[in-house]
Amino acid sequence: MLLPEIITKIENQFSDSTLDTTKFAGEDVIHIKGSSILDILKLFKNNGFNFLADMTAIDNLTLGGFERFSVVYHLLSHETKERVTVKAYVPEDEPELPSAESLWKTADWQEREIYDLFGISFKGHPNLIRIMNPDDYKGHPLRKDYPRLGRKERDDFPVIERGINKDSSKEW
Amino acid sequence: MKQDDIKSNILTTTLESAVNWGRKNSLWPMPFGTACCGIEFMAVLAARTDLARFGAEAIRFSPRQSDLLIVAGRISLKMMPVLIRIYEQMPEPKWVISMGACASTGGVFDTYSVIQGVDKFIPVDVYVPGCPPRPEGVVDGLIKLQELVDKEKFSDYSTTLKK
Repeated sequence: MLLPEIITKIENQFSDSTLDTTKFAGEDVIHIKGSSILDILKLFKNNGFNFLADMTAIDNLTLGGFERFSVVYHLLSHETKERVTVKAYVPEDEPELPSAESLWKTADWQEREIYDLFGISFKGHPNLIRIMNPDDYKGHPLRKDYPRLGRKERDDFPVIERGINKDSSKEW
Repeated sequence: MKQDDIKSNILTTTLESAVNWGRKNSLWPMPFGTACCGIEFMAVLAARTDLARFGAEAIRFSPRQSDLLIVAGRISLKMMPVLIRIYEQMPEPKWVISMGACASTGGVFDTYSVIQGVDKFIPVDVYVPGCPPRPEGVVDGLIKLQELVDKEKFSDYSTTLKK
């Protein structure tokens, strides 16, 4: 099944959850509600989209959008050489999505990265822990309301003093 | 032994300057290369600006066998505890060269995750500016450090190390 047919099928079958279909740079973008993302991704996978090329997230705090966060799936079909972008919208008060790790193993680390930097949790993920920041890190730094210079994490280390007194009179 | 033999075979000095002479001419660096400065440090060791000319060619990747820590590159939030542990594992006496803008000040990376200068947490003896510094700059820093080592006094070492 080619991409236009799949999109029409989604628009008919998931008319409640499909928010919009747009085009950007010649590629189709499907905007959907986060709750039914797994069914739609399954439909894409069963119709030849075997490769999750990239997965990322956007904070729509200043951009505007259907919800605060959107998680973006870039899918590629090696068979028909078609690409499609699926955007799943996640509300701020309950940032949770079903995990796509069961469909593409790539999603494992991508979802951990999104969890680390945006604080969106993925239901059914086998090992949802931080991937880049330290385990005891507080907050999610790619959210737009997170200060760029952080919350003093970079100043929070023990100060090691030297065993030799350098403040004596021998400046060199 | 004749009087003339003593004259030509014995050299008198203080223990301090003899030890310092040995220390400054056999610095064993521990490279902590986390970015492009680490690549540039390899050039410092290569033939053109051979660090072996200054007695510092014995690069040890074990902090327990080295006395000069060269921090080369930006230190992230997750790397700082590692750097502190490596510094603490080095035996006294030990010195630190902060190589490049990132290790000294954080450089252009003024973000939540990059340490704004390792000297905030560990003592640094010589700062080498540059992004990355030229190999000649690092050699100049090493010579400056040798001057510093030469002037150290045993009495400067505190008997109880502060924790």
